Amino acid sequence: MRFPRFFTKKRGHRRTDSHAWGSFAEGFFYALLFGAGVVFGLLLVTGAVSYAPADPDSVVLQRGYEWWMWLLTLLIPVALLAFGGSGLARVVRTWGKSQEHRAAASRTVILQGLAGASPAAGHPGVPSCDNLENSPGIVLRYRLPLESPENWTLVGFGLFALLWNAVVVVLAVGVGADLIGGTTDWLLIGLLVPFVAVGVGGVVLFVRATVLSTSVGPTHVEISDHPLVPGMSYDVRLGQGGAHLFRSIDLGLELEETATFRQGTDTRTQRLVVRRVPVSRWQRVQPVPGGSFEARVSVTIPADAMHSFSSENNAVQWRIVVRALPDRWPEFTRVFPVVVLPVKALVTTAISETVEALE
Amino acid sequence: MTTADASHGDDHVPASTAQPFPRIELRFGHPSRGYDPGEWVTVEYCIEGLNGERPRALERSALWYTEGKGEEDLGVHSFERFATADTIDRVVPEGTFAIQLPTSPLSYEGVIVKIRWCIRLRVFFELGRDHVSEHVFNVGRVPPSILP
Repeated sequence: MRFPRFFTKKRGHRRTDSHAWGSFAEGFFYALLFGAGVVFGLLLVTGAVSYAPADPDSVVLQRGYEWWMWLLTLLIPVALLAFGGSGLARVVRTWGKSQEHRAAASRTVILQGLAGASPAAGHPGVPSCDNLENSPGIVLRYRLPLESPENWTLVGFGLFALLWNAVVVVLAVGVGADLIGGTTDWLLIGLLVPFVAVGVGGVVLFVRATVLSTSVGPTHVEISDHPLVPGMSYDVRLGQGGAHLFRSIDLGLELEETATFRQGTDTRTQRLVVRRVPVSRWQRVQPVPGGSFEARVSVTIPADAMHSFSSENNAVQWRIVVRALPDRWPEFTRVFPVVVLPVKALVTTAISETVEALE
Repeated sequence: MTTADASHGDDHVPASTAQPFPRIELRFGHPSRGYDPGEWVTVEYCIEGLNGERPRALERSALWYTEGKGEEDLGVHSFERFATADTIDRVVPEGTFAIQLPTSPLSYEGVIVKIRWCIRLRVFFELGRDHVSEHVFNVGRVPPSILP
């Protein structure tokens, strides 16, 4: 009998490990966990370790565990049994099955929506539009939700400043207690100085980011229809608030590819804009005091455009992007995702809808 | 153990010659291998080099997968498995089948994300040995992406 090879070809010239050995090792790992759970559980339940730690010569006939103590004690064996058992069952269930067979059986295609879990109805791989169409516009049909990277930067700065300064406070309390007690720990004081400097820097960055995000005013984008179709034109209404002069405001379409990959134990995501379609540019814009700058333009989706796509680790997303350069502030970007359907899909849908309407 | 061969154009490239594995010739109804979404794909195939060995099972599938920087995602559109003696005789060593394509996803040649459609034939032999043959085709007419 021939043993499976340790290394086989995956695609092209790349080599990968053997599926058979991989499944065997995975099954062995889960079997070990399951076995450990069984052994620990039996030891605890049968009382094989029942003796009084303070008096090893005495045999304990009845232990004084409360019910919650039992639950706590059995937590680890039960977790081992559950984790090992479910993993082992999964390995057994998929043993010897091809990649296609497993995917077809469990439908692990995992088509994640842009903002929801279900794909657009009837369009496999196209993300759901639900969260993009639940807000009506003031003038046009839909108001698109904002996906601003600046907001996440703001949250990041805020969390960093909060956590870092919490550490600074703990150190400062220690130093203060020492000083009140009449002792001076120069090492602790020396450590505190750079910590305070970084803490102050974190607060300054957070305040600056907050001022930046609030002072330039909100951006609103409305669209006449959604989802979008290649070759079709749509009315888009832009509203930009703020009391400052804007040196320029650009509105355009962008196609962004997103790839998630693992490097060791890290999971990383790379984003890359592969297509830019400028729509309109306004220069030296002064919003109405107390109001906002408003403009209405026509946006045409390129006829050869790739449709929106989203799977577990890869995505192709269209978005309307607004880039503005305020007079005395740094440039900011605000992103409004949209879903573009495959052109043929819409033709098919339109025909079926027409037939239904006629019936 | 799995061996593989792949055909992305007219060439047929056997990946392993260390052991007498079969060779699978596959012909699409459209010689250009280009299809529109919703269109029917007809396929004729011929498995050569079995040397009298009878496969234990045959799997025919139409699927898309992603290539590029990200982890591979896979979506099986159509899957058939023939594992009984009488069904095996109907599909080995040659056979034809047809599948209707879905409306999406379309084939895409991006920069860090690529989507490919293919027909895969996987032949299973005794002792767990199997051989997979992959034949790529295009769905839709989306041009390749180029960095702006």
